[in-house]
Formats: sequence, structure tokens, C-alpha cells
Amino acid sequence: MSTLVTPRADVVVWQPSWRTVFRATVSSEWIKIRSVKSTMWTLAFGAASTLGFGVLLTALEVSRWTRRSVLEVTGFDPMLYSFAGLNVAQLAFGVLGVLVMTSEYSSKTIRMTFAATPQRRLVLMAKVSTFSALIGVVSIVMCITTFFICQAILASKGAGLSIGQSGVALAVIGGAVHLMLVGIIAVGLGAAMRRTAGAIAVLFTVLLIVPGLVSLLPSPWNDDITRYLPNSAGAAMSAVVRFPNLLSPWAGFGVLALYALAMLLFASVVLVRSDA
Amino acid sequence: MIEARHLTKRYSKTVAVDDLSFQVQAGQVTGFLGPNGSGKSTTMRMIMGLDRPTSGSATINGEQYANLRFPLRVVGASLDAGALHPSRSARNHLEWIADSNRIPRQRVDDVLGQVGLYEVGHRRAGELSLGMAQRLGIAAALLGDPTVLIFDEPINGLDPEGIIWVRRLLKSLANEGRTILVSSHLMTEMALTADHLVVIGRGKLLATGRVKDFIEQTSGHHVHLVSPDASKLGPLLEQHGATVTPATDGSLDVAGMDAANVGIVASGAGLTLYELGTTQASLEDAFLELTRDHTEFRVGETAKVTT
Repeated sequence: MSTLVTPRADVVVWQPSWRTVFRATVSSEWIKIRSVKSTMWTLAFGAASTLGFGVLLTALEVSRWTRRSVLEVTGFDPMLYSFAGLNVAQLAFGVLGVLVMTSEYSSKTIRMTFAATPQRRLVLMAKVSTFSALIGVVSIVMCITTFFICQAILASKGAGLSIGQSGVALAVIGGAVHLMLVGIIAVGLGAAMRRTAGAIAVLFTVLLIVPGLVSLLPSPWNDDITRYLPNSAGAAMSAVVRFPNLLSPWAGFGVLALYALAMLLFASVVLVRSDA
Repeated sequence: MIEARHLTKRYSKTVAVDDLSFQVQAGQVTGFLGPNGSGKSTTMRMIMGLDRPTSGSATINGEQYANLRFPLRVVGASLDAGALHPSRSARNHLEWIADSNRIPRQRVDDVLGQVGLYEVGHRRAGELSLGMAQRLGIAAALLGDPTVLIFDEPINGLDPEGIIWVRRLLKSLANEGRTILVSSHLMTEMALTADHLVVIGRGKLLATGRVKDFIEQTSGHHVHLVSPDASKLGPLLEQHGATVTPATDGSLDVAGMDAANVGIVASGAGLTLYELGTTQASLEDAFLELTRDHTEFRVGETAKVTT
């Protein structure tokens, strides 16, 4: 009744290089991201709000051009109005970044992910790379488009910037890099917290509520602290005019990149330590 | 081959898996049997490197899971049929798994056909029935054509046809020389599917061995007889060293003596037998006897509380 079987000779296991494993994981993550409809909707929402708010606020400013106060005229940053929508886009992309991780926990596919690639830090790096490449591409296209349309509107008042002016190209790229770094922080936050609601709550608190609270501190603490908050550091990257509560573009990049790095380090410790 | 050595998983208050050691050999179906909450899934997750053991270790073909690169080419597993992103299609689900281990895309079509889901590959996972999700989980396990396969409760949610299909699939995979570990709390299913058993209760190993041996050792055979002279025959058999239990219908259940000897004793005393036969204890009996003290909640305990 029991049939005699010859156990399969254990096939020599192919030990691929780490580079190969990483590329395979990126390719897998790319399928995960693009095969869920909410990705496309969120990216479209982010792009539409960047362009929409940029055009709307720039047009409003132009319409009351001669009625502006002295303070508004001297402190006018043409980029500030163009990129006002980035504040909304960073929330949209932040939510998407959180979901890249937390949806794996809520649907329990994280177990298959780690069964397929037991090297959890590598999985995190692959997710971060894939996601930030995606929103990087979307963001740069959207920032360049918004920049040119809004500056064309301002040009009617002779206040438009040209991409060739000093610091302007850097500011446009800075806007996109800002969104990318927020996205990376969000992925890390999702990995560390696992729960969608909790991670989004923390993200929104840091990006929306903390800046408001800090601004209530007595001077000069308010400006001194505000400068180093993630959203201010991000905004500094796309500013052309120097504001007292903003760092220089490069310093802003450095600060935001440090937040992202710290978040990823923390997330990778949590991922490796905990049960999937 | 899968090997668990002194696997232990302790949570803050409870011990889910307690010093568990066993081997799962190639070329046969090994059933992993235990009551609900006995630690089967935790053990499987530790084998898969998903949960970290408090102490002890598990290896697959001598290698710890976490050290494998492209492990799905060696080990395939279906741990939870519901572990699907609801808005991703069945085909996309298999595609990301295939790509993660550089498994050719052709395999996605192959396994979809193999589990009978080729037609519904485009459907979102949220629209699949539990039975289809279970098949999709099995398809994912088969993707990398692995030599070791681990299934956690693979027949949950399947219709009778599906159950028979899984049973045949497991046996044919084993006949190809693969190592198969399949968990279940359904004893009847294990009796039909498994060649070998690992039985646990409350995280501890209770028994391991061939299904046949397990039943014999735990419960053994019983002789069943019907006789008009039961009242005389019963004491007589007990004098010869048998244990006799009268059944409610007037027949006798005899343990510790085989049917031939019962017949000899009866004829020697000139007693009439209408029926004489041997009943093989079921895996269910054996399992219940073994796990009586190891299930999380027993009906008896509850009854005591309520009365």
C-alpha cells in the first residue's frame, strides 16, 4: 500500500548575489505598488492638488497685486505660491508611503513577503527605493509643470522667475525631493508602527499640528525650533527668498534627510526584532 | 527534510511551543496534528523564520530559513488563505511572489492552471471565495517548484471536491519525493492523507510516528461480540486476562485478547456466539485519548462549572 519513493536528491541551491536578491525584491515591490488601484488615485490627487493650489493661489495673488501690503511685497517669494500645493501633496504621498507598509500587515501579506525574502532590512530598502523612485518621478514632473504654469501667470506682472535664475532650478528639484523624503519617512513610520490609523495619525501630527504648537512658543524659540521641523526643512528646499524661520535649501535637505535616515534605522530595528 | 530542535516560543505569560523536537522526512505526507491553540501555526511560523524562537532552532535541509536566498525555490508555504490584499488580482498576487524569487512568469500560468483558478486570475482577491483563496495559497506555495512544502490547515473552506483534490495533490507531491508538512485539527482528514504524524498538545510533543502505529499503540484493537450467553462469557473472558466492557445493546467489547482466542474460550465453555469481530480504533479515538489532558478547553470542565 505504501509505494516506494526515492527522495529527491536535494538540488544544489542557487545562492544568488545580494544584488540579484535586491533587484528581484524591487521588481516584486513594483508589482505590489502598481497592482493596487489606490496608488494611482493618490498620486493623481497629489499631482492635481499641487497644480491646482499653485495656480489658484498664484492667480489670487496676481488679482490683488496692487492692494498688497508693504510686508507682503517685500517678503514675496514667487515659489512660495507656486508650490503651496506641496503641503497637500506631502500628506497624500505620506499616506501612500504609510500604506505601502501597513497594508501588508493589515492584509497579512507581510508573512509571504518575509517568507519570500527573509532579509527584512533588504525588503525595507527595496520598498523605500521603489516607492521613492515612483513618487520622485511623479513629483519632479508635477513640480516642473506647476513651476512653469505659475511663473507664466506671474510674468504678467513682471514678477515671474525663470528657471535659469540662480537657485531657481534647485528650488524646483527641491520641491520634488521634499516630497520624496516625506514619502520615505512615511514608509519607515508604517514599518515601525504597522497600524495604518496610528501611523497616519503620527504623520499628520508631526506635519500639521506640531508646527502650529511650536509657533505659539515665545520668540526666538518658535523660529529656532520651527526651522528644524520636517515640513519647514522641506519647505526650505523650494524657497527662493530667505525667511527667518527657514534654513537654507541645502541645510533643509540635510535636516529632512537626517529625519528620513533616523526613521529608517528605527524601522529596520523594529522589523528585525519583531515577529511577522 | 525539516528538523525542529527544542523549539520553544514563550510569550509574556504563556508558553505557545514547549521544547518541541521532531523531523519531517521527504517522500511522505507528515500530518501535524493538535487541538486548536496547541501551537501548530506558531511552530510553522518559526520554521519559516517569521517568528523568532525563544530558544531552540528549526532547519530546512540543514539550513536555517533566514539564511536562504530565494527561499521559495526550496520551501513553499501556505500559512493563511486570507493573507491577500483585497484589491490586488489573483494573478498579480502570484506575480509579485514569483518576481521576488526570480521565478519565471510562466510558472504563474502553470500553477493557476494546476489549482483550477486560471479563469479567475484577473479577479480581485477580495472577490474570491474562501475555497478559491485556499487554492490561491496552494498555488503560491507551488510557484517555486520547491522540495519542501508547508501547509497550515489547507482544507479549511474547501468543498468536498476540493478536499479530495488537496488530498490527492499532497500524496502526489510526496510521491515525487518532496517533504510535506500539513497541519490540521481534523483527525479524519489526517487519517486519510498523512503517512506520518507529529502530534502536539499545549505546545508539547505528544507522539510522532506512522499513522498506523500511532493508532495501534494508543488505542489498540478491540474485539466486539454478540452472544446470548454474554452474562457467562464476560466473567469467563476476564478470568483469561481480557478487559470486558458491556455495551448498552447487550454486546461485549473485549480488549487485551484477539478474536481467535475469544472464540476458543467461548467454544471451550460451550457458549454460543452470534457475532465476533475486530474493530480497529480510529485515529480520532487515539487522538482524543492522547490529548485528553492537553486541550485548552474541555467540555467536561465547562460542564463542571455550570452545574
